[in-house]
Amino acid sequence: MIDLSTLILTLMWGAAIGCIYVLLATGLNLIFGVMKLVNFAHGELLMIGAYMGYSVCILLGVNAYIAVFFSMGIVALIGIAVERLCFRRVLGSDKLNEIFVSLGLILIFDNVAVLLWGGKSKRIISPFENMSLTLGEVSISYDWLIAVVFVIVILIALLFLIKKTKIGMAMRATSQKSQTSMLMGINIERIYIFTFALGAALAGAAGVLYGIIFPFNPYIGALPTIKAFAIIILGGLGSIPGAIIGGLLYGIAEQTAVISLGGIWRNAVAFSVLIIVLVLRPKGLFGEKGE
Amino acid sequence: MFTKDIISWMVQSTKSTKFYILVAAIAFSLAIPLVVGAPFLIHVLTLIALFTIYASSWNLLASSGQGSLGHAAFLGIGGFVSSLLAINLGIPPIIGIFIGGVFSAAIGFLIGLTCVRLKAWFLGMVTFGFAVIAETLVSQFDEVTHGILGFRTPLLVPSGLPFYYLAVLLATLSVIVIYYIMKSKIGLAFRAIHQNESESRMIGINTAKYKLYAFVISTFFAGLSGGLYAHFLRYISVSIFAAGNSFKPLMMSVIGGLGTIEGPIIGSIIIVAIDSLLPNIDKFLQPALSPLFPAVSFVGPPLRFLGLGVFLVIVVIFFPKGVSSLLHKIHNYFRAETKKANNIERK
Repeated sequence: MIDLSTLILTLMWGAAIGCIYVLLATGLNLIFGVMKLVNFAHGELLMIGAYMGYSVCILLGVNAYIAVFFSMGIVALIGIAVERLCFRRVLGSDKLNEIFVSLGLILIFDNVAVLLWGGKSKRIISPFENMSLTLGEVSISYDWLIAVVFVIVILIALLFLIKKTKIGMAMRATSQKSQTSMLMGINIERIYIFTFALGAALAGAAGVLYGIIFPFNPYIGALPTIKAFAIIILGGLGSIPGAIIGGLLYGIAEQTAVISLGGIWRNAVAFSVLIIVLVLRPKGLFGEKGE
Repeated sequence: MFTKDIISWMVQSTKSTKFYILVAAIAFSLAIPLVVGAPFLIHVLTLIALFTIYASSWNLLASSGQGSLGHAAFLGIGGFVSSLLAINLGIPPIIGIFIGGVFSAAIGFLIGLTCVRLKAWFLGMVTFGFAVIAETLVSQFDEVTHGILGFRTPLLVPSGLPFYYLAVLLATLSVIVIYYIMKSKIGLAFRAIHQNESESRMIGINTAKYKLYAFVISTFFAGLSGGLYAHFLRYISVSIFAAGNSFKPLMMSVIGGLGTIEGPIIGSIIIVAIDSLLPNIDKFLQPALSPLFPAVSFVGPPLRFLGLGVFLVIVVIFFPKGVSSLLHKIHNYFRAETKKANNIERK
């Protein structure tokens, strides 16, 4: 049987991994909610974010946790470029075209990363390397705790932005009815750019946190995308609280599966969750409207 | 009634230019190994024939509006079933590849039951996920599948020319079958569903049923091509489920022309040619470009994939109907020119 300390450790690990996925899922959710666009290349932004954090750490010699903000800014700029050059042109045409463009972007990002940084695994060295908080038999690395704190702060700031500011109100209006909000004087093209940049910035932050905890290479992007997708579907499309609860549940489910079934099940769990939820409850656990 | 329809189509289609293009293409593909006899080129041509079946199967599914991102699952299932049957039960591979196709279609039916209710992006995710689940399951039951290390598959027909002719025969048959399916009422329903699902439901098309048809037919051909592919490479392992194998038919169909019969053929020629022939220029690229990218030891492969990605995005944005639409435009242009010339002569 699994003893108590393993259980606590599983829960903590699950929560920390889940937090990173929550950031990614929230960005994806935001872009989907406002633009009705699914960016399959969102995980590549996470990967680029991790590399940006790595480069900033190496070149400027700054603390890994300060690099999170650099990475958010750079990835947001990349997001703006991607939105203007690629997605803007296929938005509103056949849904399949958006998927094809995303796949092209996956190829482009992966191989640009290979050309610039090489295919070998890298890690961002955090200032709290090898330090951990010991509680009885359980010891939790500081990096996991800081990641959780970072995610909470970022999410609170995001909620403030969406609920309290003018541009957040414009985003909510656009997500409800884009044409009507255009008539109300909202420049929805600017809202689209802002939303995409915001989603990309969240992916950039998630990337640095991911890079501090796990080793990464140019090909890590695809699986986090799908896990974020599973989380969104679990929590309900367009619902940010749903994404947070879904992300935590998902992270814990994944860790439990790894510990009880073995490491090769880590990725298959995501899809089993995805398919089961889609079959049983296509609206998600907390979603209000379907699809 | 149904057979009569098919016969009447066949009679009609012999009068069209498409029929002559088909005959010319078959004659060309049969004659080309006699002109270029190099084993490497025959290998490339066989790959083109195999990927024509695979890409056409993907294209048929996409013509009903369902873009699968995990077709490698069905390629792999076909390959594993056919090779395992041949090794364990001694079933001749030529029958095994069809059993593999049927098996893959049966699994496709089950996956299709879940997928027909989903919108484009969910369907993409679920199919992509199914490929990963298939990979995990095959690795998990390694005692049965021997998938992790892989194993040598038995000989289907002698490699080289005999295999090439078999591949061309099966590719031609598959393309003809898919052509008639796409021309039939079923194909019309697929296109209607692709354009507007709720409207096609309104005019009385049972969309779930037709989407399931598309899934089953498509996965049959994917399984068939998987069996052929495994026996062609003489080796199979879980790497057949890799995402790259899922994206290849997509790129072929999109670059060639989505929803057309000639698109996947043109696309598979382009992609297989890029994959197989372009590595030859790597030895010239390497000294020129490696100082620019010190992080990588071989600049060729990532540059090629990067180019493919850019090519895909450009095709989707600027020529959404693919390369085949360009050919149609050229054809129409020349026809208009000759008409003009004829008119002037008449005057």
